[in-house]
Amino acid sequence: MTPTATTPAALPRAHPARRAVRRRARFVSRNRAALLFVAFLVIADLGIGALAPVWDRHSPDDYAARVTGCAALPRDLVFVGGSPVTEGIDPGQIAGANWRSAPLADAYAVGLHGGTATDFYYAAKRACPTAPRVIVYGATASDLNDSRSEPHGTRTLLDRADVREIARTRPETAEWVTRHYTESKIGRASNLYRYRHGLRMWAAVQADALIPGACPEALAQAREQRDHADDLATRGTGYAPLKGYARVRYDHMKAAGHVPPPFGFLNNYRTGSHSKYVDALAEWCRARGTALVLLDMPVTADLEARYPREFAEYRARLAGLARAHNLPLIRGADAGLTDADFADLIHMTPDGCATFSRWLRGKLEDAGRAP
Amino acid sequence: MIFANKFFLTLLPVVLILYFLLRTRAQKYNVLLLASWAFYTWLSPWYLWVLLLLTVIDYTAAVRIEDATNPRARKRWLVVSIVANLGLLVAFKYTPFVYDNALELGRWCGLAVTERHWNILLPLGISFHTFQGISYTVDVYRRQIAAVRSFRDYAFFVAFFPQLAAGPIVRAVEFLPEMVTPPTPSAQQVAEGLHLFLIGLFKKLVIADQLDVLFVSPVFANPGAFDAAAHRWAAVAWAAQIYCDFSGYSDMAVGIAKWFGFELPRNFDLPYLAANITDFWRRWHVSLSAWLRDYLYFPLGGSRRGAARTYLNLMVLFVLCGLWHGATWAWLAYGVYNGLLMCGHRAFDRVATGRGFWDALRASRGWAAFAWALTLSQLVAMLILVRMNSWADGWLMLKSFALFDVWGLWSPRVPVWVPLLVALVALGHLCGKLKLTAPAPLRAAAQVGAVVALVAFTPGVTKTFIYVQF
Repeated sequence: MTPTATTPAALPRAHPARRAVRRRARFVSRNRAALLFVAFLVIADLGIGALAPVWDRHSPDDYAARVTGCAALPRDLVFVGGSPVTEGIDPGQIAGANWRSAPLADAYAVGLHGGTATDFYYAAKRACPTAPRVIVYGATASDLNDSRSEPHGTRTLLDRADVREIARTRPETAEWVTRHYTESKIGRASNLYRYRHGLRMWAAVQADALIPGACPEALAQAREQRDHADDLATRGTGYAPLKGYARVRYDHMKAAGHVPPPFGFLNNYRTGSHSKYVDALAEWCRARGTALVLLDMPVTADLEARYPREFAEYRARLAGLARAHNLPLIRGADAGLTDADFADLIHMTPDGCATFSRWLRGKLEDAGRAP
Repeated sequence: MIFANKFFLTLLPVVLILYFLLRTRAQKYNVLLLASWAFYTWLSPWYLWVLLLLTVIDYTAAVRIEDATNPRARKRWLVVSIVANLGLLVAFKYTPFVYDNALELGRWCGLAVTERHWNILLPLGISFHTFQGISYTVDVYRRQIAAVRSFRDYAFFVAFFPQLAAGPIVRAVEFLPEMVTPPTPSAQQVAEGLHLFLIGLFKKLVIADQLDVLFVSPVFANPGAFDAAAHRWAAVAWAAQIYCDFSGYSDMAVGIAKWFGFELPRNFDLPYLAANITDFWRRWHVSLSAWLRDYLYFPLGGSRRGAARTYLNLMVLFVLCGLWHGATWAWLAYGVYNGLLMCGHRAFDRVATGRGFWDALRASRGWAAFAWALTLSQLVAMLILVRMNSWADGWLMLKSFALFDVWGLWSPRVPVWVPLLVALVALGHLCGKLKLTAPAPLRAAAQVGAVVALVAFTPGVTKTFIYVQF
């Protein structure tokens, strides 16, 4: 076959296009190993991205699951807060309570383990695309500790505008938030990096199927995560107690001589910065016609006894916020819970949660009756 | 871990880009030198002064040696260099050991002594860069190389960051000629560098660290809680771990240097395939063995001063080699053990060589297999010495290892991953021995597999390199 004028072979020897083709060919030939590596890496990354649901199933994001779960339906009543809310409030038991003479038909708890008041504000914004009638912020002392900055919320809940807002509102954490946000975005550029935990959990399950007992710890973690995610999705209220908290009771542990370690979340306790986001939450609720209720979540007497100064500062701050925004403040300590209702210093057992939720239902109805 | 953290993974691409963008030799080496010092400061913030001080001393000493007209002045400057290097090395590394033993001696003599309540933090890489400095001034003294007149060039040779923390111990005679014009890496060097870097990371993070966490540390911490089979596997796994840890670092150092166009000497050559102890030391930490041979064994007379002196030299060499690794009685015992094995092997070799029966036997495959198995078991046994927590624990594990029987390899306490990871090390040796090279696509796929394994299966904080602590 005679080469046509458009093919490189047909071009004159000195033609620049032909030289360019040759240069490219030489470059590819010389750098074949590195190019193959890059190509295979991209293919592997795309392959992992294509199987994202598999990895997500094996490594569910608890924050994202709760926020999207809440946002899926319009809710009458939404609870926000940290792990004490996750483990201590069962919205299923509170739904139906009357508020301003009308029942709160649907309730959901957006409890974020390890979160701060800043996280809860952004979680509420994301979780409530339709304004609920009531939002209850189940607060605890560690939520307002300005020494704490937890990365999960920054990585899961924020967008660029939020980061800018935090940099303005809490300038002392601007660098930290920007760094974590940027890292999370860069991390998402690679599917391999993004889904690495899901890959590990999936591999643990597969390895155990192949060789039973091959990686017991990873398998236990994978199973617990999967069961918890299934439980959360099935119940549909945001309440899915961790199995660990169902197995133990704080009074039993004390009787056995167990002394809990120091509660690090209250270290270097100071308030004033995170609490700006309680202000923001109050304003956000007011603008949407949502009633905001502050709930001082109960903790064990031992925790309060260990950190009296911290709890005094927290209570003063919470009372100040309630006064400033004219919000009802419910004191969870009045529920009369004992050590038997807790699994550790701060998290309730499922039985404790049921007791507290029943009590809270009544208190909410009282608050809803108030003028 | 030195090469798998945000600082290094940010520094490396920045330095690479600057190195290729900058035009002049001075600019390129200035960037590399500053990056190396920054890297050192980040890893060992209190001790940059040690590196700088020794760099100044060795640089000055070498220039003075070359410029001196009389032999006494030359020797004086050489002594200055050697004393400065060894003095700081001994002061930092051996003071607590000497102090503790002096206390023990005092207690033995009935003196009332108090325990040591202080410790000395070891400057990073001091065991390596002091040896590099000594080799440089000695080579200048021997007129094997010319003294470097540019302080920047010399400082860069000492501080080049890939090999700064744990070698290989680079000789000036090898490295300085590469520095004449800043090298430009070839495509082959880039590909080899990538391969070595990934292999090194895989060895460190996937094999060495996982073996340690899964099995080696728990067993060595409390061998009494494990059965004999677990002891055997722990000893073998420890041998695999220390090899992957150190050779992993060396592979990464060599790989990174290739990206800048520099060739560092390879430090390992399938050491667990050694057929005898002499062969092993030609394959394990090659740069240290060669350094000790050239700057200690030969100056002591080597094998030229009769049999007795040769054996003495070997013992001195290996006792110091043991102590170089660590200032403990266990490392000293390791050195003595190696020295005795070396002397024994040399004696056997001299007796057996030239005798028909023995020569024929030693040329046979059966003998090769026997010699390999015997050497490997000796190596594994002596590595127990340097990992044991106490002599009683070491003795327990040595007994289990020595009373080996093929049925005694199964134990429910041994995680399934341990034999698999050990098998990977064996497979690596086998492929190296057979010189198997995969076609480029298969090689690239394996590299990507290594990346996936590294990202997905090595969570959390990694452990520091074992040899960095020497």
